[in-house]
Amino acid sequence: MDMKHSSPAVIPDHQPSTSEKILAFLDERLGLKEMQAKMLNEPIPGGSRWAYVFGSILLFIFAMQAVTGTMLMFYYVPTADHAYDSTQYIIHDVDYGWFLLSYHFWGSSAMVVCVFAHMSQVFLWGAYKKPRELLWLVGLALFGIVITFGFTGYLLPWDQRAFWATLVGVEILDKTPIVGDFIARFLKGGASPGQMTLSRFFVLHVMILPAALMALAGLHIFLFRVAAPAGPFKGTTEEIKAKTDYFFPRQIWKDIVGMAFVFVGLCALALWEPVVLLDKATPDPGEYHPEPEWYFLFYFQLLRLKLFAGQFGQFMGAVALPVIFMGLMVALPFFDKDPERNIFKRPIALISWIVIMVVIALFTVAAVINREFLD
Amino acid sequence: MLQPKLKSKVRCTDHDIGEVTRVVLDPLSHEISHIVVSMNGSGERQIMMTQVQDVTEDAVQLRAPSADILALPPFKREDYVTTHEVEISHLEDNIHVTPGEVLVPLPDLEKNVKRRTFFMNFTHVIGFLIGLPLAYPILRFLMKPMYADFDNAWLKVGNVSKIKQEDVGTQFKYKKQVKEAYMPEYEVEKNVWVLRATPDLLERVYQGKDVEFHDAKGKAIWTNKKDVPYIAFSGKCPHLGCGFKWRQHKALGQVFLCPCHLSIYDAGGKVLDGPAPRGLDALPVKVSPSGEVEIIDMEFKAGTKSQIRIV
Repeated sequence: MDMKHSSPAVIPDHQPSTSEKILAFLDERLGLKEMQAKMLNEPIPGGSRWAYVFGSILLFIFAMQAVTGTMLMFYYVPTADHAYDSTQYIIHDVDYGWFLLSYHFWGSSAMVVCVFAHMSQVFLWGAYKKPRELLWLVGLALFGIVITFGFTGYLLPWDQRAFWATLVGVEILDKTPIVGDFIARFLKGGASPGQMTLSRFFVLHVMILPAALMALAGLHIFLFRVAAPAGPFKGTTEEIKAKTDYFFPRQIWKDIVGMAFVFVGLCALALWEPVVLLDKATPDPGEYHPEPEWYFLFYFQLLRLKLFAGQFGQFMGAVALPVIFMGLMVALPFFDKDPERNIFKRPIALISWIVIMVVIALFTVAAVINREFLD
Repeated sequence: MLQPKLKSKVRCTDHDIGEVTRVVLDPLSHEISHIVVSMNGSGERQIMMTQVQDVTEDAVQLRAPSADILALPPFKREDYVTTHEVEISHLEDNIHVTPGEVLVPLPDLEKNVKRRTFFMNFTHVIGFLIGLPLAYPILRFLMKPMYADFDNAWLKVGNVSKIKQEDVGTQFKYKKQVKEAYMPEYEVEKNVWVLRATPDLLERVYQGKDVEFHDAKGKAIWTNKKDVPYIAFSGKCPHLGCGFKWRQHKALGQVFLCPCHLSIYDAGGKVLDGPAPRGLDALPVKVSPSGEVEIIDMEFKAGTKSQIRIV
């Protein structure tokens, strides 16, 4: 019923309850009903799909990371002499501390997995093409933020795993020509990792990155709403129109089911694989074999290649390769101007995606197999 | 596109049937697809724009007789949402059903203001004048701990009696006092690999020349003599900074192996395999008559062909 156009002279057949009065008071001042209607009534061309759930799931994971992360800060102390002990305290002494920390830990992995799925979906659907170039670019920036989140968060427990992954990660950034030394010292707060590094990573992780992510995610959603969803790549206008529905209820239903799956999955991981710290961080690795987080393993293995040996090879592997990859991603909507979106009619795109997937899978497996030979 | 206006009279081929009360937009093409006509008391009908022959200032002319229009099913409001309740970008770009321009008077003070552009630019300049002087102090603020002088003090790391065999890497762990910012000094554990070298290995490492070490200003601080049989390697792998180990390799025999990216070095620190760009970094080392090993704790930038000292 359209309230605006109904006659105000109609006398309601019952007295409004207190909650209805409060709601009406708020609605009059905030326009809540219209806002809610606008948020829910967004046409999904060609209808809702399970493939579209990843954006909403990412938002959900971020919200949960914010909640669990804020909780952790109640006990965590970001100093070289207390970070490790306070994290151990969270794990062993604080009620449910192990759960909140483990959920936060696995949440970061889930975030990377979903970013990956989200980007693959957009890439395969050709949804980065005109008029969604800016949406794609902001998405790439968000990808960078998620990766940086993982990298900075990894250091905070200040155990051996944290220390060495950070040390090697910063050394990789150090290989950037001209500014590399400055960037590395800037991040480390000196020549070698210590308290200053922990402080800097902490500020990045709990202040700068969340603010950047919220701002860019807001922009991302705004751009998405302005450009409207791309919809399926097959079907005539009439077919798509016939299947179109609104964001609510079918897509929201799928999204919430997806979120529930992620939530249950993360709880299960937190229960069965809770975070266990290694020894406290020290510049002597002892018997520990440094290794990055699992989603960086393929890159770690890649840097072992003879191809990337020596100073020049290292520049190619540590700097040129990721920069060229990101550069191609940024340029993608500007050189791929063919409006064709069907992935089965875009052989280069399909083959590139498969090649990247296969390389990542193979090198990850190789890194895992390599572990055995080191012990 | 025809722009039927609200309140316009609607005429059939025979006579007037009512007036336009709503227009319906197509969500994909964003064009007007239907008009809704209030039928002079007989409810509302939805009429496709293809039925509209012409639109004038205050009337809409249809192609059909009134009987045809009356025979259409009644308009169902519940099948629609208003444009305020839906998120479709640019939906109203093509529609001009408002009766001409809608205006609001400017406040008196805003009339005849000449220098709007000037004020706009002035605002930006002031903004810059606030931000710019902050940039340098903030940069310096953040850069404070980035560059520090080298510490060339000698550190005792252990006794040579720990070394059981010649040309075999032995790890010496030591503690280094670190002072950061205002914080109390604390100890970090570090390690160095020390070898008692055979003359053969010494020759390979030194190639007949002593090795001189300099401070930041280039002044010589120590010389590793080519005939002193003790060699100390920094525990930091010159590839990407991990800690390497002394290991048995099935093809290369006893070697230094870095578990990170699998760089392999011989007892003399020379790269045998893997991605390392240079050999292991030898440190200034001296051994007292009682066998106490002392080193100067130095770190060099990883990943470069030449040695660049950073600690």
